[in-house]
Amino acid sequence: MHEISLVQNLVQQLKELAAENQATKILRVTMEIGPLCGVVVDSFRFGFDIISSEEELLRGAELLIDIPTVRYTCTGCGKVIVTAGPRPDCCPACQELTLFPEGGDDLILLQVEME
Amino acid sequence: MCDTCGCPSPSDHSHDHDHDHRHDHSHKSGHSHSKTVDVHASLFAANDALAKANREHFNEVGAVALNLISSPGSGKTTLLEQTIDALKGEIRIGVIEGDIETERDALRIRAKGVPVIQLTTGGACHLDAAMTHKGFHRLQKEPGGENIDLLFIENVGNLVCPATFDLGEHERVVLVSVPEGPDKPAKYPKAFTSSHTFLVTKTDLLPYFDFPVPEAVGDALRLNPQLRTMSLSSKTGDGMETWLKYLRELVANKKAGKLK
Repeated sequence: MHEISLVQNLVQQLKELAAENQATKILRVTMEIGPLCGVVVDSFRFGFDIISSEEELLRGAELLIDIPTVRYTCTGCGKVIVTAGPRPDCCPACQELTLFPEGGDDLILLQVEME
Repeated sequence: MCDTCGCPSPSDHSHDHDHDHRHDHSHKSGHSHSKTVDVHASLFAANDALAKANREHFNEVGAVALNLISSPGSGKTTLLEQTIDALKGEIRIGVIEGDIETERDALRIRAKGVPVIQLTTGGACHLDAAMTHKGFHRLQKEPGGENIDLLFIENVGNLVCPATFDLGEHERVVLVSVPEGPDKPAKYPKAFTSSHTFLVTKTDLLPYFDFPVPEAVGDALRLNPQLRTMSLSSKTGDGMETWLKYLRELVANKKAGKLK
């Protein structure tokens, strides 16, 4: 459940952003959660719901989550597979098992709507 | 700059994450006074900045840092005890122990006569760069802690969460013990894609468990073809020489300025 500590970091950033923008209410938070960043989307959302319910600034805020795609290159035939889903078991073209992933390994606060 | 000693870490109270607030896209929607701010800041940025500072700090004092990640009970502490015995008088070792509760692991390591401190996370399932920073300062105040060639950071026993947090280590080592089964690389890929070295431990138990080493190693290499792989038993000493050779090379490379 390291998602909880990441949500705590997020809440800290949101408080700072709200203060910088003289906002008293966060309405909507958009996150990008890469499929390979080691964060479980449901756990992150669960943590966000718990923590946001305890903070006046965040109570009722909506959490939007974007899942970016990962680009896997087959080390056998060079075929590229682009997916936001689970890591492919093997190359669909040549059945090679080693696929080289690029992207999708970050957890990014994209946008905040506040008032 | 760190308040404790002036090491490269940002001080605990500093605003160390560099989120780039682009306010140029902010606008007001027609029906309310709400305002949208594009932030585009990684939540890992704060930890990564501290990890980078930790790495610079380790470099300044000439220490190679290893982050040991595994499930609970894979034999991390026993391996450290055997490693300390084998390298005593040759390489100056320091240990940061991470656990949720108790000083037990630190007591075991202290009994071996090397500087050690225990970090108890009080529930957190992983170490992060900030904890490591504080831990290393405490370690440096321990007898012998001012001169360390090889720093072991034994993470909280957990094959999931620690994989996400860079501590500033030079090498990350993931351990899987034979009783755990060979499917760990397939089930917990992040620990293997983010590591430099994969160690199969408790190989003395291979006759009693169904653990095809080539299958486990093959799965791990498919995830991370650069992974160095070793198998050993801390109990019988089988395979220990390969592990010790790896550690000696790391320390030698560090001294020669080849490891950044």
